[in-house]
Amino acid sequence: MKDISEQEVIDIGDMDVEAFNDFATEQGWGDGMPLFVPTEAKVAKFVETVRGDNRPIPPVPPRQVVPTLQSMAANAVMAGCKPEYFPVVTAALRAVLDPEYNLHGSLATTHSCAPVVMVSGPIRKQLNINCGSNCFGQGWQANATIGRALGLMLLNIAGAKPGEMDRSTQGNPAKFTFCFGENEEENPWTPYHVQRGFAPTDSVVTVMSGEGPHNLNDHGSTTGDGLLTTFAGSMATPGANTVYGKGPMLVIIGPEHAQTLKRDGYSIDSIRQELFKRSRIHISRISKENQDTYTSTGHMPDGDWFTIGRNPDDIHITVAGGPGKHSAFIPSFGGTSVSCVRIAG
Amino acid sequence: MRIVNPSFGLSATTAEKVALKPVNWATDAIALVSNSKPNARELLAGIRDKLGATRMIDNIDFLSKNSASQPAPADVIEKVAANYRGALLAIAD
Repeated sequence: MKDISEQEVIDIGDMDVEAFNDFATEQGWGDGMPLFVPTEAKVAKFVETVRGDNRPIPPVPPRQVVPTLQSMAANAVMAGCKPEYFPVVTAALRAVLDPEYNLHGSLATTHSCAPVVMVSGPIRKQLNINCGSNCFGQGWQANATIGRALGLMLLNIAGAKPGEMDRSTQGNPAKFTFCFGENEEENPWTPYHVQRGFAPTDSVVTVMSGEGPHNLNDHGSTTGDGLLTTFAGSMATPGANTVYGKGPMLVIIGPEHAQTLKRDGYSIDSIRQELFKRSRIHISRISKENQDTYTSTGHMPDGDWFTIGRNPDDIHITVAGGPGKHSAFIPSFGGTSVSCVRIAG
Repeated sequence: MRIVNPSFGLSATTAEKVALKPVNWATDAIALVSNSKPNARELLAGIRDKLGATRMIDNIDFLSKNSASQPAPADVIEKVAANYRGALLAIAD
């Protein structure tokens, strides 16, 4: 008799949902919230949605196993996804498997990072992914369950068990789920996936191993210059991994702030340049011991200032959210990438 | 009821065994590899000093990753494999 972990299909006898949840908890399959039952029949409906996408899935670190479409779909079922979400979930897994994303490091680190999932293109509307008000929050099945499905895959397939392989000191609520859509309709510039070379008609998943969103509140500034002063001042945080880990970050601009910046002549590139220049951190805000740590690992100050990334290109910018004078800054793990994968279909 | 195992995966590693030669910790070249976190180097330096009480330490060298958050680069791993019979890894945090 094979061990349960070696069986792709398991006969669990007669169990109701509550009993299944107890069984799943015993197996270490859960994130602490109730799970749907991944019956063979339900999993088959999910797998059907990605037929034709025959690109192989590479081994998933740290556990280094190659999942089957069935085992991937089982996680999406347990998360509460609809079958039509599964191509997005599959693309998200492919994206975190980009070697530059550094999945092993980002899952095993003591940092609080979790995968941030952003969806672009027509599929946002087809799946009713929230891109507007409260897009980082609750209330939308697609946002909630696509992010959760990726988290469950990283737990069950990658083996990122909290306190064991996942060594995060404090964790992050985004480890449950963090998925949102770009607000392309209110973006006065170019949608993010088009900035990255995809066609506007492509549907794309973008991932980054990041923290939760840090709010950029500015109700007072009426100019783009004023907004960038607030944004940069809030981004200049000595405790961010990117200061010494030197990696990417997201700036998700709310539509009202975006309109002001556009009106005052700012482009994505000029915002990036200004934020990089203005968000430098003076050495007086960083302890001498921490400065020694930075410099001993090759991260030297520029005069009396540490930069928050390697260069302006580390700042990835797009628009999401609804009415209101708020934007968001999402710093990354540092040793990671912002990786994009086109959604098949 | 039959369910699909959400943790199922096929092992990507082969069953091929790597033949390890015994290490003579009293004389062989040893790599002391730091994960580049604060104090890893100090920890390894302490080990090297203690080894110095019982053996020659000219062939005990310090190596490190480029970044604490990144895997060890292939050239560092190849250097360890080519030049040392044993390696000690310090994972400071």
